[in-house]
Amino acid sequence: MTILAELPTPAPTRAAAPVARPSFAARIRRAAPPYLYLAPALVLLVVWTYRPLAQAVRLSFHTWNLLPTSPITEVGLANYERLLSTPDLGASVWRTVLMVLGILPFSLVIPVVVGLVAARVRGRIYQAMIFAPMLVAPVAAAAVWQWLLDPGAGAVNRVLGVRANWLHDTDLALLTIIVVTGWHIVGFAVLVVSAGLSGINPDYADAAAMDGASRGRITRWITLPLLSPTMAFLVLMTVLLSAQWTFPLIDTLTQGGPSDATTNIYYLLWDYGFHSYDAGLGAAAGVIFFVGFGLIAVGVVALSDRVSHHDD
Amino acid sequence: MTTKVSRQVSGHVVLGTLGVLCVFPIYWLYATSLRAPGDIGSLSPLPWPLSLDNYADAWRTIDLTGMLVNSAVVAVCTAAGQLLVGLFAAYAFTVWRFPGQRLLYLLFVGSWLVPFQVTMLPNYVLLSRLGLLNTIAGVIVPTLCSALGVLLLRQHLAGFPRELLEAAAMDGRSSWATLWTVVVPALRPVLAALGILLVINAWNEYFWPALVLRDNAMVQLGIRSFMGTEGNDWGPLMATAGLACLPVFALYLVLQRHIVNAFVRSGLK
Repeated sequence: MTILAELPTPAPTRAAAPVARPSFAARIRRAAPPYLYLAPALVLLVVWTYRPLAQAVRLSFHTWNLLPTSPITEVGLANYERLLSTPDLGASVWRTVLMVLGILPFSLVIPVVVGLVAARVRGRIYQAMIFAPMLVAPVAAAAVWQWLLDPGAGAVNRVLGVRANWLHDTDLALLTIIVVTGWHIVGFAVLVVSAGLSGINPDYADAAAMDGASRGRITRWITLPLLSPTMAFLVLMTVLLSAQWTFPLIDTLTQGGPSDATTNIYYLLWDYGFHSYDAGLGAAAGVIFFVGFGLIAVGVVALSDRVSHHDD
Repeated sequence: MTTKVSRQVSGHVVLGTLGVLCVFPIYWLYATSLRAPGDIGSLSPLPWPLSLDNYADAWRTIDLTGMLVNSAVVAVCTAAGQLLVGLFAAYAFTVWRFPGQRLLYLLFVGSWLVPFQVTMLPNYVLLSRLGLLNTIAGVIVPTLCSALGVLLLRQHLAGFPRELLEAAAMDGRSSWATLWTVVVPALRPVLAALGILLVINAWNEYFWPALVLRDNAMVQLGIRSFMGTEGNDWGPLMATAGLACLPVFALYLVLQRHIVNAFVRSGLK
């Protein structure tokens, strides 16, 4: 189910090795094909992903104001110390946590409820409708939500009869970003849940019903436990990707404001990269987030392996 | 029996409400774009009288035709390149066992954790050294290795019947011939679904093109040109946003099942 999980690959059976030891050139020729097929992807990956990452690691120990003419000075761990002592980092991490928690109802609770409900009605058309927002480009989504939420002319305020400033009120902006992001991704999560549900063998529920178990009990004790790998996958996705999902909406709708109320870690990185003219600090923040997300990913995968029930 | 009916009804109500809430903003996007410029603020559910003025306005203000063409070129080239690169890599990972395999595979998985915000500045600098800033190639080349594509295709190839590969080897076919005559034909539905997904992703991409192209030459960037600090020009803005979504929705209507499957399998990126 999860892409991050390792799939066992059966080893290819090879023709019996020749008895005589092949020459060096022949061995090279036999070993080369997988590397040749991998080469294009690997070169691209190294040049466009890992080289920049390595550069960020190096830069995080230096100070530089991004101007080609100005010197790059080594400063040891000063950037990390500075980063950890400013309130920016902690505050943005906290807001990221809030966003993850706020998005979980959309990425987990609603999809599971919808999945359970949809199992008893025929609803392909509903699924198609719920999925549609997923296809809207983030910038276009931001544009239409900006229009819907406009304080004066927007449909939401006029229908509700209020004059809320959804995007520029410090108390509302974070909630608004969460709801808009939730709208954008809920269809994906619904599909994942319905795929997970359709993978559950109906024999278990039938047997329990035969024994007189109620629907509620079947859901609680059979369906949900068997759905737990799917739910773990959705939690992992939400934790790792919420900051990415919200980023384009934040950039278009609030630019991290008002007074940083919607600045999550990626927006902070973006801001450091472009507005602070402090390349070392931005690089240090990037390295911290990369390591942090790596640790979280490993932790969630390990945890979900332990708590998930598998239908073996 | 009655509880069964009431279950059915409550099910339709729950799903219907959620469906309408999800679709409403999209409907409103198109409804607004089709109103006459004087009616933009109207709350009537149907845009009437219909008017294409907003579209005409958008076309006059920005080079929409050029943008749509550029976006299409970028989306198709990016997706085709990602498919090819991903297919080769997935083929290498599944057919051979070789030293360093696990480590290399981890490199692909790990690339998901590298935030775009970390790589953008070094990549921007490299592009400018290569003289690719402000070019379509500059938008495409850095995105050509899609970890998503590699991982997905590897998963599918792992389930590929080994006997077919062995039979091809027995016939004396090279790995290159096997790839094109045995693997690709069998994998066609998967490649098609993944290809559509990659086209949609590339079409909807905003940040990297925004960095590379200074003259707003793609349609996602065009949307932004109607957003100003002094307030937005809502009519043409909705028209441009609507146009930017139209090809994707058209693909969705025609190929709904494939797209849905591709998204479900992909995780989402």
